[in-house]
Amino acid sequence: MEGRPLTDGELIERARRGDASAFEELVRRYEEIAYRTAYLVIGDADEARDAAQDGFLRAHRALGGFREGAELRPWLLRIVANAARNRRRGAARRTGLALRAFRDAASGDAAPSPEVLLLAEERRRELLAAISRLRPEDRLVISLRWFLELGEEEMAGVLDCPRGTVKSRLSRAMNRLRAVMREDADA
Amino acid sequence: MRDSLEARLEELGSAIAFPETPRLARSVLEQLARPRVRWAGARGLRLGRGAALALAATLLLAGIAAAVGIALGGLRLVFGPPGFSPQPSLLVGPGLGHATTLADARSQVAFALRVPGLPGLGEPDLVYLAEFPAGGTVTLLYGERDGYLADRATGIGLIVTQFRADIGPEVCEKLILDGVQVTAARVDGQAAWWVAGGEHFFFYRDADGQMVDSTLRLARDTLIWEEGGVTHRVEGAPSLEAAIAVAESLE
Repeated sequence: MEGRPLTDGELIERARRGDASAFEELVRRYEEIAYRTAYLVIGDADEARDAAQDGFLRAHRALGGFREGAELRPWLLRIVANAARNRRRGAARRTGLALRAFRDAASGDAAPSPEVLLLAEERRRELLAAISRLRPEDRLVISLRWFLELGEEEMAGVLDCPRGTVKSRLSRAMNRLRAVMREDADA
Repeated sequence: MRDSLEARLEELGSAIAFPETPRLARSVLEQLARPRVRWAGARGLRLGRGAALALAATLLLAGIAAAVGIALGGLRLVFGPPGFSPQPSLLVGPGLGHATTLADARSQVAFALRVPGLPGLGEPDLVYLAEFPAGGTVTLLYGERDGYLADRATGIGLIVTQFRADIGPEVCEKLILDGVQVTAARVDGQAAWWVAGGEHFFFYRDADGQMVDSTLRLARDTLIWEEGGVTHRVEGAPSLEAAIAVAESLE
């Protein structure tokens, strides 16, 4: 057994030659980001699982056309997002994002006071509530950037838009989020 | 310079609870290793049929008053009630008839059976022949092919169905529910309909006027048209263009 993990490129090369375990390793590496991307696009946990699986199957079939030396993740996420869009029926559903359990999210710090923790939790809830009132496309672009921390190229793939327009879409979504939060503050 | 909203979003990102990621590697590998066509056993089909018939009856009763029809030879598109969404898993039925060979099917039906010649499709994996409607119905089933991803439940990538178009206007019906788009298209210059998105399924009325569901899984996008006295249906293609490519390769 080799001492270092194989690179994506090495795994792709092996998978192309029919090595199922190499493709399995790629699935393990990217299943979480693929699943979460699909979940943000489709807004349903079961549909997201099916879409992520379809995405990996499509990616496997398309490996022959994958450009050597290119980054796998943006290419894969584009395929998964397409699979998710194809599965999405009718109008976009509301993505049901939730906060992790209070204690869990606050762990790792040097025990702030309960009042500080409560306040932080309240501010998270306010922000998430404001995001949930945005249009689905604004919610998606903000979630991809801040919750999945995708890069511009990856976002372009998932949003199916040119890389050059990602920044402006994010900027417009952020402005609308600020507006919603101002309305909340005034209310 | 990062503003305070960005800092708050970044902090929020670490507190978002996504649903737990399912372990996909095993199921993906199983799918990759699976034979091209997986056929549900007769037991499963019988169970599916009862449920689908009950569903069809419910839907028809609910939707008939508002129904608007588009007529093709032997086929009518019926638009059902909005907001109703049956489970695709229930839409599994046996109306395909019995398994046979292309040669046998060709000799039994009262029309010139055609088979897609599109490169890459090859021969159908399974051929089914049903006696109904009059003149017979032939269903060609293809497993997964390049560009035609197999349905997870049935293992089927593409379905091509043909029956005689001169059997009366309302023998076969296709129930179309909310969220479905019906788009006019052309196949070899003939008027065609692309039924895409949402839920839709076919049924027909048997000699006693009972509804019988007529295909195995009917929630996939479908192209239907009439040509040369035969009503055709191509189901499962990933896009209208792909469906037309299959349709226009019939020979």
